[in-house]
Amino acid sequence: MFLYEKKLQFPVKIATPNPKLAAVIISQYGGPDGELGASMRYLSQRYSMPYAEAKGLLTDIGTEELGHMEMVAAVVHQLTRNLTEEQIKDSAFAPYFVDHTTGVYPTAASGFPWSAAGIQSTGDPIADLTEDLAADGAMA
Amino acid sequence: MFNELTGARSNTPGAANGTTEASCPDGNGTMPSCAGLAVPYVPFQQNNPQKYSQTEALSNGTLFPGLNLPFHLKVEGSTVPATPLAELQALEFVVLELGTYLDTHKDDTEAFNLYKQYAAMEKAAKAAYESKFGPLTKSAAAAGDSYQWLCDPWPWNYEQNEVK
Repeated sequence: MFLYEKKLQFPVKIATPNPKLAAVIISQYGGPDGELGASMRYLSQRYSMPYAEAKGLLTDIGTEELGHMEMVAAVVHQLTRNLTEEQIKDSAFAPYFVDHTTGVYPTAASGFPWSAAGIQSTGDPIADLTEDLAADGAMA
Repeated sequence: MFNELTGARSNTPGAANGTTEASCPDGNGTMPSCAGLAVPYVPFQQNNPQKYSQTEALSNGTLFPGLNLPFHLKVEGSTVPATPLAELQALEFVVLELGTYLDTHKDDTEAFNLYKQYAAMEKAAKAAYESKFGPLTKSAAAAGDSYQWLCDPWPWNYEQNEVK
């Protein structure tokens, strides 16, 4: 099971909102190589992992990725606070805003909502670990 | 080409498993069926690696200088503010890093002793933080005089002390 700690893993304090940046960073939340995908990837793959060392790693790292997810969400939330109409119109953030306003929604920057199609759990530990290298090597 | 490949293979330590050339015929094309196509290699972290201080660890995103391979070779870490929360976050990060390291190095007694020390320090620091700034866990919320869990700050707010 999981217990919540009411704090981030690393401080997030963004003085200057920037919706254009948020429109890109959201991919690290809900994109195919984002933190949500990383969590689901590791926490799902651990059930078919036969080795205790790797069961431990998949559990501990999968849990840590949940904390990363929260940090990225906090970044997006702070980048999009107190926006003016001018900051939204004609900006890269407009397509996101029309669907989600400033709600934090797990989506890729390309607009594709988070999908388990971006991760894999094969039941084969070698295949899974190889997928992990590709996914987390792309954007740790 | 066939003879070169099988010759190389028989010289590989650990590859000698009684397989002879006869059991490895090149019957289906130019590549012998027993030839390794590629051998991936991942350097394995050794026991008792060098470690950063807790603030340096949090700043660099790793406890271990040997694993600090920054994106685009940008060497400087992030700035960690000098706040009570950041000090707790740094301690917790070291506990997290050592715990992950021990998953694959459970017999490194020096690391395990360090893990115990940092876990004790983190426990004390968290209790001190909670007594001043409110509960970080539901169990700590149960220890207060009244239910303080819903009080600001929430972690994602601009400042943890921001009141909306």
